[in-house]
Amino acid sequence: MGFLAEILGNLGIGQQHALMFALLLPFFPLLLLLNRRIRERGNPPLRPIPAYEDLEAYLGEATESGRTVHVSMGTGGIGTGVTAESLAGLTVLEHIAGHSAATGLKTVATVSDPSLLPVAQDVMREACAAQGYPEAYDPACVRFVSSDKVAYAAGVMDILGHDKVSCNVMIGNFSDEFLLMSEVGARNAVNQVGGTTSPQILPFVYASTDHALIGEEIFAAGAYLLGKTAHVASLAAQDWLRTAIILTILIGILVRSLA
Amino acid sequence: MRRLGRAVAVGVRRSLPMAMAMAIGALMLIDFFFDERHINALGGFFLESAVIVVAFALLLGLLNVLVVHLRRIIKREGGWFYSIALLAMALMVMVAGIPGPDNSAVVWIFDYIQFPLQAATFSLLAFFVATAAYRGLRLRSLEAVAFVLTAVVVLIGQVPVGRVLGDVVPALKDWILNVPSTAGVRGIIIGVALGTIATGVRVLMGFDRPYGGEGGSTQ
Repeated sequence: MGFLAEILGNLGIGQQHALMFALLLPFFPLLLLLNRRIRERGNPPLRPIPAYEDLEAYLGEATESGRTVHVSMGTGGIGTGVTAESLAGLTVLEHIAGHSAATGLKTVATVSDPSLLPVAQDVMREACAAQGYPEAYDPACVRFVSSDKVAYAAGVMDILGHDKVSCNVMIGNFSDEFLLMSEVGARNAVNQVGGTTSPQILPFVYASTDHALIGEEIFAAGAYLLGKTAHVASLAAQDWLRTAIILTILIGILVRSLA
Repeated sequence: MRRLGRAVAVGVRRSLPMAMAMAIGALMLIDFFFDERHINALGGFFLESAVIVVAFALLLGLLNVLVVHLRRIIKREGGWFYSIALLAMALMVMVAGIPGPDNSAVVWIFDYIQFPLQAATFSLLAFFVATAAYRGLRLRSLEAVAFVLTAVVVLIGQVPVGRVLGDVVPALKDWILNVPSTAGVRGIIIGVALGTIATGVRVLMGFDRPYGGEGGSTQ
């Protein structure tokens, strides 16, 4: 172990970075291997997540009623520490955008971080183009509200209160302002699906939405909603690594207890 | 010849953003883990560039605000007079901020308009927590029953009257917070960490392309 620590030290890698490296490195070959296996053998069965199942019903209901779907990708952006959460919200937007372009459902997506604006607009534009109606794309369907979280919440509260919204999807990085938005939605009898990774905000999500996506479930959107092979493969890779971490913890407990 | 040129253009349009994202992503990853002078300098350069790009994105955001609210005013959509107020206020703050962000007018606007409004909006949270708790504590499922029982024990254990009733409830509260709650939070954090790694690795390997380009954002 001392020899290993010396090598890592010479390379300029601290102990904590080394542990992170050890967790990150197996992901690459695992993802490649599982992606190839899934392509050959088909998708493995995934456990049902009610939020994703009922989202389809909510979109159908919104389409039939002619009302709007609101999508929030959180208060994070691209290039911040919560980029992964923002990308998860973007994946859900991609699914909803495809449904909107195919059925004519009106979708309003709001962003708080301006770095997410052009990416979200691109998702909506590509969805219209994929359906063969590029002229149907409306740049104003993606709205930058405010970089300030409270002002963003106030803007979304206005949309949920006045814009005849049938379904509200809020998946991404949120803090306390989540409750301000979701409560307005709940009071207006809007079907709501919420998801975040922050354990402090999860109670708000659970209490004020119809379906809550807890923690890593938001990263599974690509597998459940879009059925993408790479996303299913990464879910499998996460399961493998999670098992490895659990075994390491158990072995560590045993070693410490017996020592 | 024209068809060949078009095919090359499409190929470049698809591959170039992906190649750049993969290359720069790999560089930033190496910069994070290894302490090498030249790589660190290059990584620092790209980080500073990202800050500049985000600043330009803010200009795009302002343009978006203008488009959305001008359209609402022109079409006389619901709440169009609020859009006039918003654009007027935005223009006023922009003009006031021309001499600089430390200008007395800007400081006054933030101290006497922005922050009180923020505080007022955030104060609604207290009432919304109460209504959300009422909605969440309805016994609609087994997990809701567990939610209610836990909430009751922790609430009573937190307040002084809990100690008057005896030491059991505060001790139970401490156990709930230190053992199952902490275990659950740690489990969520581990799962989130793995999900974040998975998302990053997919982008690094080109499986996901959120940066757009022809062929869709993500595949």
